[in-house]
Amino acid sequence: MAPKRLMPFGRTKAIERQIDEFLDIVSEAGIVFEQGVVLFVDRPDDEACQQKVAQLKDLEHRGDHLRMGIETDLYTNMLIPESRGDVLSLLDALDDLTDGFEADFVSFIIEQPEIPDDVKADFKDLVSAVVKSVEHTVTASRAFFRDPGSVRDHVHKIGFYESDADRVAIRIKRHVFGSGLPLERKIHLRDWVNAIDSIADDAEDVGDRLSIYAIKRSL
Amino acid sequence: MEIAVLLFLSSGLFLGWSLGANDAANVFGTAVGSRMIRFGTAALICGVFVVLGAVFGGAGAAHGLGKLGAVNALPGAFMVALSAALTVYWMTKAGLPVSTTQAIVGAIIGWNLFSGSITDTATVARISATWVACPILGAVFAAVIYVAIAKLAVIGKLHMLRLDLYTRAGLVLAGAFGSYSLGANNIGNVMGVFVESSPFSDIDLGGVYTLTSVQQLFLLGALAIAVGVFTYSKRVMMTVGNSVMPLNPVAAWAVVLAHSLVLFLFSSTELEHALVRAGWPAIPLIPVSSSQAVIGGVIGIGLLKGIRGVRQIRWGVLGNVASGWVTTPIISALVCFVMLFVLQNVFKQQVYQEVHYVLSPPVMARLQEQGAPVANLAQDADTDTVGGRAFRRLIREHGAFDDAQEALALEVAEVYETHITPRGLKELDRSRLTKEQAAALEPLSGQRYNHRWQLYEALTAQGDAWKKRPAGTIHKVYNARLGEALGYIYRHFRAGE
Repeated sequence: MAPKRLMPFGRTKAIERQIDEFLDIVSEAGIVFEQGVVLFVDRPDDEACQQKVAQLKDLEHRGDHLRMGIETDLYTNMLIPESRGDVLSLLDALDDLTDGFEADFVSFIIEQPEIPDDVKADFKDLVSAVVKSVEHTVTASRAFFRDPGSVRDHVHKIGFYESDADRVAIRIKRHVFGSGLPLERKIHLRDWVNAIDSIADDAEDVGDRLSIYAIKRSL
Repeated sequence: MEIAVLLFLSSGLFLGWSLGANDAANVFGTAVGSRMIRFGTAALICGVFVVLGAVFGGAGAAHGLGKLGAVNALPGAFMVALSAALTVYWMTKAGLPVSTTQAIVGAIIGWNLFSGSITDTATVARISATWVACPILGAVFAAVIYVAIAKLAVIGKLHMLRLDLYTRAGLVLAGAFGSYSLGANNIGNVMGVFVESSPFSDIDLGGVYTLTSVQQLFLLGALAIAVGVFTYSKRVMMTVGNSVMPLNPVAAWAVVLAHSLVLFLFSSTELEHALVRAGWPAIPLIPVSSSQAVIGGVIGIGLLKGIRGVRQIRWGVLGNVASGWVTTPIISALVCFVMLFVLQNVFKQQVYQEVHYVLSPPVMARLQEQGAPVANLAQDADTDTVGGRAFRRLIREHGAFDDAQEALALEVAEVYETHITPRGLKELDRSRLTKEQAAALEPLSGQRYNHRWQLYEALTAQGDAWKKRPAGTIHKVYNARLGEALGYIYRHFRAGE
């Protein structure tokens, strides 16, 4: 069946809805990732972890699908010619965050890193800071579409949580390398801390881009 | 229609084409340049609304140029339009931004110089004043509109896509309005000089609507503009949008709307009537330059953004634009003068009808009646003087007239023979007159008059139907309509026509 042609108003509303849905997915992926890591840290063998993997895979798939749909619509209907490039880069960068959550968590479940009891709380703090930075990236992105003037406030919070994540990551690494764990476990844990922390770095990069896009969009 | 007439009209059509190629870019340039509207869509909207504006709203501004110079022979009108078109075409080819209005004003002044007619300095001053007012108004309108839209977008927290949709719709509407205004205002530039010598006669469309000869003339001109839009404006549109300063789509919308409003202000008879009725001063109905309105609008946006905006304005390009505003009328006047000389002396065409002035006894009596010191002019009584400038020289040599008396002498002494024939009365288009006005003409059947004012006196002697009301804004609309009817009567009953 041929795709239904929408009138301009309907088409615009549909794309707005798709963008909102896409941003919901990025935010949801962060929440699921946090829930999954917390579950894994406490009970690595729990069946619920597998469910979180499935959930994240589904979110990642839906995110990809929505992003491609939005990009096609924006191009074929020649919408927002001035900001189209910025919007497409933004969507790609946000999609990378979802991909990061999914890829990290799947590897987590495969590699099964053993987390010492005395850094478990820090691990949870790290994930919490990373997810918060992503949530503020999503809020900043929503603001970019509706109220570019307020993007700066949200970008500031992304930066705050990214620094927070860095601080926790350093704390964990110091603790791990100061412990008597075998070197391979130390390196394995360090890689994991870096992998999780890098998602906050990516979020901060998106925030930086958003600041520029918002200036370009300001009337 | 004679082939010769079509040939002469062809220069007007060329001018129309040039205007379509250039000025349409002013209406939709920013929209197409910013890729908000496809060229095909822009050209279609522009073409349709230019035609509508020219045919149904074109009467207002066309008279503005009529006052500057009554080009009274078709070959002369041909050359005036051709000179303007060539100037526009050459300057566009040379990459210089150009104003069609200024080209045509320059060409008319060239014709006035060649034909020995007097250029009405008051009209020139008024038109020149619009060349200053137009960019300023464009800048103010664009800035106000932009601020209003930006505030609304911020307060309403409009989604980027929603704002895009509204901007797009706004650009289409403002572009349609701008095209209508362009047609209404600038058709006077394209076909205004042919109005006096229109080869068409009124067409009755099944008793529903009468397409006047002027409307047919304007329709033809508008079609030429539309062809110009479709064939040549794309390149210009793509460059106009960003030539002076890069604009975002909302700013493009504000500029297009400001441009359309400025053109509308200077072409709408309805607005003039409304202003006059409200007791406000009327805006002169003069063809203004759409280029100036757009450039003014862009600068308005730039200045609004402060230092950042001022830095973004390409002042070099702006300097070129401003130099074009000075050189265009001069080049056009020179080209017209030289080509009229060639047309008259090489091609043996009558490029103007001689206007005669005579100080006959009735003229002297009339002038004396009006308080003009005619005693010194007695020696020149009955001298037939050809051309307004020669006559003015004569009365300046012998009379001691002030400016108003001089203008009166030019008006009273001009020979304009009319003959109220029974056939002329039968063929009269009564829809252009009131019943009382038509009735006042009947008793004059068979009469001949040497001057316009004599016919006017005879008409007013029949009753109040032809009497002008005291000057003042309240009666401006009434007097303007009366003037149009009188103009029609003079032309219709002109002896030898």
